[in-house]
Formats: sequence, C-alpha cells, structure tokens
Amino acid sequence: MRRNSIQNRLLSAVLLSQTLLTVGLVLTGVAYTYWRLLSTLDNGMQSHALRVAALVRYIDNSNGKVYFDNSLLPPPLDPEHPDLFAVSASRSGLLYRSQDWPQELDLKPGPDLHWNLEHAGVPYHALRLTQVKILDRGQGRSFRPQTLTIVYASPTSHLIQQVKAAGSYIALISLALMIIALGIAFWGVRRGLQPLQTLAAQAGMVSTQNWELSVPPEVEKIEELRPLIESMTQMLERLRRSFDLQRQFLASAAHELKTPVAVLKSTLQQTLQRPRTNQEYEDALENSLEDLGRLEQLLQWMLRLARAEQWAQGALRRDLDIVDLPATWAEAIERAQPLADANRTTILFLGNGQLPFRADPEDLQLVWSNLLENAIRYSPQGSTVEVKLDRNRESFIAEVLDHGVGISANDLPHIFERFYRGDGSRTRSTGGFGLGLAIARALVEAYGGSIQAESQPGQGTRMIVRLPAGPKKISASLENAPLNTAS
Amino acid sequence: MRVLIVEDERRLAENIARSLREVAGYAVDLAADGPQGLHLASANPYDLIILDLMLPGFDGRQLLVQLRDSGQQTPVLVLTARDDKESIVTLLNAGADDYLTKPFDLGELLARSKVLIRRAKGHSSPLLTVGDLEINTADRTVRRGGRAITLTAMEYRVLEYLAHRPGAVVAKSELLEHLYDYNWQKFSNVIEVYISGLRRKLNDGSERQLIRTLRNQGYVLQE
Repeated sequence: MRRNSIQNRLLSAVLLSQTLLTVGLVLTGVAYTYWRLLSTLDNGMQSHALRVAALVRYIDNSNGKVYFDNSLLPPPLDPEHPDLFAVSASRSGLLYRSQDWPQELDLKPGPDLHWNLEHAGVPYHALRLTQVKILDRGQGRSFRPQTLTIVYASPTSHLIQQVKAAGSYIALISLALMIIALGIAFWGVRRGLQPLQTLAAQAGMVSTQNWELSVPPEVEKIEELRPLIESMTQMLERLRRSFDLQRQFLASAAHELKTPVAVLKSTLQQTLQRPRTNQEYEDALENSLEDLGRLEQLLQWMLRLARAEQWAQGALRRDLDIVDLPATWAEAIERAQPLADANRTTILFLGNGQLPFRADPEDLQLVWSNLLENAIRYSPQGSTVEVKLDRNRESFIAEVLDHGVGISANDLPHIFERFYRGDGSRTRSTGGFGLGLAIARALVEAYGGSIQAESQPGQGTRMIVRLPAGPKKISASLENAPLNTAS
Repeated sequence: MRVLIVEDERRLAENIARSLREVAGYAVDLAADGPQGLHLASANPYDLIILDLMLPGFDGRQLLVQLRDSGQQTPVLVLTARDDKESIVTLLNAGADDYLTKPFDLGELLARSKVLIRRAKGHSSPLLTVGDLEINTADRTVRRGGRAITLTAMEYRVLEYLAHRPGAVVAKSELLEHLYDYNWQKFSNVIEVYISGLRRKLNDGSERQLIRTLRNQGYVLQE
C-alpha cells in the first residue's frame, strides 16, 4: 500500500475506526449476553434453591427437629452434569448433600454469596443463601423455628456456549457491515478526491501562452480547495507579471542592442570591402572599439536595470547596512562635479542633520547620480541645480530641481519607462540610453519608496524621491554605531 | 545614381554611405533627423532613399507617409530594429519598397539597393543591353561586342545612368543632379568631358555613335 496517498490514508483511518467499532461491538455484545444469561441462571438457581428448601420439614413432635425429604427431589436437567446442592439447618446441621460434593463448595459460614468454580472439568456457578425460612410450619409449634443455609451450584458450560454463539453471530454481522462500510468509504473517497484531480488537470494546462487557471464551478465551490485555488491563482498572477516583465525587458533589450551591433558590423564590413591602407585599418579598428565601448556600456546599464527590477520584485531581501542619506548625496554631488563644471552649473545642497536609512550606499548614489546628471545636462549654462533633503513623519524626501528646458507634457508620463527617450535629438546627443530614470525608479521602488517628476517646459524640472523613514531603533543604532557611508 | 540616407546613428550612416560610394559608385547624401531628411528628399531627385525608423524630430514612418502623400515615387528601403511581421506589414503598406532588420549585412544592403533602383527604372535584370553594348550593374563591367571596356568611375556612372533609360533624352542638369551629392560643386562642362571619354572608349570603328548629343536638350544612348 502506498503510504503517500490521501486515498489510502483516508481508507486506513476508516478501516482502523471500523475495526475498533467491530471489536467494541463484539466485546460489549458478549459481555452483555453473558451478564444477561448469568442473571437468568442466578434467578433460576435461587428458585431451585427455594424449591429445595421446601423439601425441609419439621419432624412431628420433635421439638423443632427437621429432616430433608429427598424422595421428592426433581430429576436433574442435565444428567451428565447435575446441579449440586447442600442444605443445612441452623440447629440440626447438614441435612442433605448431593453426591460427588466437591471440597470447593465447603465454605466457612458467612453471608449470601455468588461465585464461580470448576468441578470435574466443568465450570459451575454457585450461590449460597442463608436465613432461608422453612416453609413447613410444624404441628403445635412451640419452638423457635430453624433457618436454612443452602448452597446451590449449576454447571455453566451451556451458558458459555450460548455466549460464544452470540459473540460469533455479532462478529459476523459486524464484519459484513464493516466490509460494506469500507466499500462506501472507498467510493466516497474516490468521489471526494475527484475535484482535486480535475484541478490538477486544469493546472497542468497552464503555460506561458495560457496563464488562465480555469476552475470548473463544481470544483471552485469546494470549501477545502478554495484556499488552494486562491493561492494558485495568486501565484500564477505573480509569475505572469514577472514573466511579462522579463519578456518585455528581453524584447526591448534585443531591440536596443540591434543598433549598436549594426553600427559595429557595418564598420567592419565596410572596411573589408576593399584593400585599405594601414591608416584606414587603424581608424576602422579605433571606430570599432568605440562602438564596442558603447555597446558594453549599454549592456552594463541593462544589467543594472534588470538587477534593480529583480530586487524590486522580491522587495529587496539583502543584508543592508544603515547609511546616512546626506552623506550619500555628498558623494554623488562630488562625482557629478566634473560634469557640472563642464556645463558651468552650480549644485546647491540644502539639508542638515543625519537621516539614517537602511540601504546599499552604491544603490542610492546611482539614483542620485542619475537625477543629478539629468538635471545638469538639461540646465542652461551658468544656472543652478538645487538638491533638497528633508523628512516628514513617514518619509525622507529628496528633491532635485533644475532650471532647464523641462519635460513636455507628452513625455512626462513616460520618462521612467525603460529605453524611453523623449526628444531623440536631445537625449541621443547627450549619450543617454533611456535607462537612467528606469533604473532610478526600480531602485527606489526596491527600497519601498517612490519617485515622481514635475515639470514646466521652459522653466525646469523637479524630481522628488520619497523613501520610507525607518523605525526609531535604526535612528538609535545610528547614533551609537559608526556610520557606514561610501566616503 | 544618387542615394539619400536618413539615419541618426552617424557612424552607421557613414559606413553605408562609404560602401555605396566605393562599391556601387553612387552619390550619397546624409540626413540625421526627420525634418532634414524630408527637406533633402523633397529638394533633390534621389534614385533611392534608405530610411531608418527611429529618428529624432519625427520618425521614419511619418517621413515615409509624407513623401508618398506628396507623390514622390523614389524607392524607399527601410532600416528597422523591429522584425515582427506586423510592423513590417504596416511599413510596406505605408509605402516602403523593401526593408532590412538591424543588424544587417552591408553586402545585402548594396544588392537590395541596386535591385530597387533598377526596378524603379523598369529593369529586372542586372544586365543592361543597348544593341551590342552590355553593362553588368552587379559587378560594374562593360562589354561591347564581347570586348571588355575599362571605364573610370565617373564614366561608368554616366553610362549606367544613361543605359537605365535607353532612347530617352537625358538633360545635362539631370545627369548632374543624379551623379553628384549635395556637397559637390556642379560644373556642367565636366559632363561633356565624361561623354567624350565614353564615346572614345565605346567606339567600335563605325561612324555611328551610341551616345548622341541633342543640342540644348541633352544626351541619348541609343543603338
């Protein structure tokens, strides 16, 4: 029997309980039958004993002496194993005793008593009655009447046979019932498990082409299966989303990679079209290397984005240290300084105090750098880019404000989409892949935060990042522990 | 032949241009965005336009639609990074003549360009024949009566252009428009130099010239 089968487990439980029930039924039946028969026998023996007592008579004019009239004894019921009895009177002593009187029946005087014994290989039930009155009144009685003590024993072999017969009868019926019950249980379990098999068949039909788990209504309404169906549906939904994300990413990545590959390929093919001078080969190789560099850069950005999105999906389960937000900003501003200098842009930082946040400082700097570089790139020369850092009850808020060209209302809803380039001429010439803001958003969301952009075309853009302010204990540990910043 | 390439990846555009110039002997102009492409395509008589789809300004599809709306018949070869059937069908329905998906093969691009040009001029064979003159546009060889003739690059360009329209009068200005790109200083007398060079090399001893001059009209290539 396979142990790992619900059907077999259920049937084993049914079998076990049925067996217990049967055994209990047989035992109870046997005990009850035995008890009933024994009490019937007991009553019979008492009446027999009283009949025996009726055979005791007073001897006339003997001042209360008695005798036992054994001529009136009834014939034994079972000649093989006759009843045994003894009668004794309170003053006259033993009056009569059956033949083959066994020693076991000789008892010390005492109260009424029932007991079992065995005589000549035959089981007997015995009783002793005391204070039995003599029925015969005697003539002219002037004496104190005697009382009788009667010991009476009857064989119980027929009784035991009856009990055995009753027991086997009950056992037989129970066994038959048990087999029927098992059959019903088997059928019921099979029927009860049918929806599970239907569900399994439906689940087997789910694939990347068909994410729908279609559950028949008769399966869906089964209470025990409902949590399973619900969690399966939810799991499929999560899988589908993650799969779609990956597929979209793959499609757009392949699309984006095609152009740099086309450039590189065309450079090499064009060079090989005819014999060239060494200088021409050298130029072609340098161009190829340049193209390759761009391709490599694009790949790196894509990997970063993929990783950030993966973290965002899994809600970022990593061992993270506590970092100070202003310190990560200081680092990002330092890195962006050469670009700002080249564009003659001033970066203003507003914010004071420590803002402890559990994060990888590299991630935060990547987000800040992306925002800063965008702000600087789209700023007119000689303008300022303002960075503000603040907190309220539940969030840390970082704002990057530039006074540049701004983002058109058409582009604004899409700027965080991967590979989205607003006005191509602007972004391509600034060397963007359309990934920076997508990475920033994925990272911020991975930390449970949000990012949004507000823009007035011609006046500038404000990027707002909100990160969840941690519980107080992080703040406390920050005060005690040395800060882990990237600087 | 003169080709316009509308492609914002500067290096890719340059590679295609150089290849077309060196291997096919075409004059090539470059446009880096939609508006510039549309302007050049409207202002010059191109024999082929090679069009990238992802363009700054407005994209290649819009350019294509505007070209076709204005009645331009110039064949258009589209370069696209998308290779799904739907977008290709939409492109062809919008008026594109052919497409290549990136990354493509330069050799294939050249071959398709030649096909598009000769088809637009009404030829299906790469071999152009006028009487006993044979011009193979695939490998750019010229034979007359079985005899191989060696031409300079410019002489070949003139002959090929004339041979695509045998019997038609081709104005000198038309030749200039189709044989030189945008950056070239155009002097009409250089055409006369190439024509006389061609006549000399194609001469098989008879009095009759294959290329005839119609005064104040242009040239005719005819048996």
